[in-house]
Amino acid sequence: MTAYDDPYLAGVGLGAVLLGAYVVVGHGLGASGAFASVVAAGTAAAVGTARASALPAVAPYLPQGITSFLRDWFVLELVGVALGGFCSAWLAGRLRARVERGPRVNNAQRMYAALVGGVLMGVGAKFARGCTSGQALTGGALLSAGGWIFIATCFVSAYVVAPFARRLWQ
Amino acid sequence: MTAPLTETGALGSVGELLVAPLIGFGFGWFLERGGLGHAPKLAGQFYLTDLTVFKVMFSALVTAMLGAFWLDQIGLLDLRLVYVPETFVVPQAIGGMVFGVGFLIGGLCPGTSCVAAATGRLDGLAVIGGMLTGIAVFNTMFDRIARFYESTALGAVTLTDLAGVSRGTGVACVTAMALTGFALAARMERLRR
Amino acid sequence: MTPIRGVLAIVAATAGLAAAAAGPGSSEQATRLAVEISAGGDHISAPELADRIMKRDPTLQIFDLRSAREYEQLHIASAQHASMETLAREHPRPDATVVLYSEGGAHAAQAWVLLRLRGYRHVYVLREGLYEWISRVLEPKLAVDATPREQLEFERAAEQSRYFGGLPLAGVARSEVPVGYWTGEETAPADITRQAVAGIRRRGC
Repeated sequence: MTAYDDPYLAGVGLGAVLLGAYVVVGHGLGASGAFASVVAAGTAAAVGTARASALPAVAPYLPQGITSFLRDWFVLELVGVALGGFCSAWLAGRLRARVERGPRVNNAQRMYAALVGGVLMGVGAKFARGCTSGQALTGGALLSAGGWIFIATCFVSAYVVAPFARRLWQ
Repeated sequence: MTAPLTETGALGSVGELLVAPLIGFGFGWFLERGGLGHAPKLAGQFYLTDLTVFKVMFSALVTAMLGAFWLDQIGLLDLRLVYVPETFVVPQAIGGMVFGVGFLIGGLCPGTSCVAAATGRLDGLAVIGGMLTGIAVFNTMFDRIARFYESTALGAVTLTDLAGVSRGTGVACVTAMALTGFALAARMERLRR
Repeated sequence: MTPIRGVLAIVAATAGLAAAAAGPGSSEQATRLAVEISAGGDHISAPELADRIMKRDPTLQIFDLRSAREYEQLHIASAQHASMETLAREHPRPDATVVLYSEGGAHAAQAWVLLRLRGYRHVYVLREGLYEWISRVLEPKLAVDATPREQLEFERAAEQSRYFGGLPLAGVARSEVPVGYWTGEETAPADITRQAVAGIRRRGC
């Protein structure tokens, strides 16, 4: 397994990709929106497209009915993210089927924490209209007020909670 | 102005969708290169043991910010046509706080969870599952929180709009802040050794 | 600090610092145009235009953006016909004074924005188009109950009218006197312009 790249260089590369997105498609990256799209499709599958489209939270993600997520830019982007991550790891010999965790918890505990963390992030990202990719990175680079509010509150709250969750990571 | 390509008609709607996975590929590639598909590394940021998250995120932010600013200055990119997210002060502050807690507990964010899952990390899959659940939970509560959700809307404003300074001044300040942060990070790491 | 990090830091610092000193970008320029429009800086009046034509301003280029048929029926002296597409292929000299007019003014206003964004500094729209030209230059009318100011205005207009082979008319009923923004009234509907044009044509040369 090779060591990770210089974080600054990786960051510049990431920034170049983001800039490329602004230039080519006029908007930045995103991730949480793609997840919401998938949830909308799932909702339509569960209760029928008509009922799902009547829900104000879900309707915006179903412009073309249940198959909208297949045409959602951000869903297609995330497919690329997975592929890009896979290829990079593969070439560097970093592919590993495992659970990554801190030394003091076992796999089950880590998986449970990951799930809970995911639920909180899902809720938080909806209120914030984005996540670290869409708001912090994309919005932040455009000096969006909401983006910077998100950066500040997200980082501060993570630092505040960290001492209480030491067991998870240290 | 030649860009954004989708707004100047150089790229149609099909093309726009075709480039999505390409752009995503670059995104995922560099995230993995920087080690951000590895949850313990991400969490280390908040124990100040591993400052990778800060370094990657802010060098990416500054790169894109400076690039966009200067391309607009020389007339190649029309920043007015680039989508700026809307600001909803209180919901985004609360959302950020909740997200931050989740980020710390889960160790991965939405984008990096995809990288983690794609490289075999099962915890990545758990985070993804959690996020889908969280969004579904939000959807069910939506009626009750809709008013709060739409409150304190300021539109697609930027910090420089609110502060009444030029965009260039804002860009300069953020760059200075990031470079200072990088210098502080370097010092912190030197002291640790 | 590795060399490449040093290089990146210097590039970032320079680009960031220069940003603070940078003027408005191309996109901020459009905001300035909007301010200009709301202040009325994009307009020229018919008498002013007539004056420039009479002075044989060499930088003056007038574009009629109506249909070719309407242009043939009647157009402002020395005006060229153009459509939105052909205007894009026109290349007036950089210091040209470009005047635009169209039916209803929408195309003229749009062409104004396009030409300003292309870098032309002296671009103007004849706000009420041909209607204003006819009412204030070609066929000025003086009401029987005209105020002294209106009489002075009419004398100025009559002189211009004669230059362009028009027909100034005095002693006209108040209701016959054309109104527009110059008399503090609402804009003229398109059919009034058509009537005016038809009236002129019926007169014969």
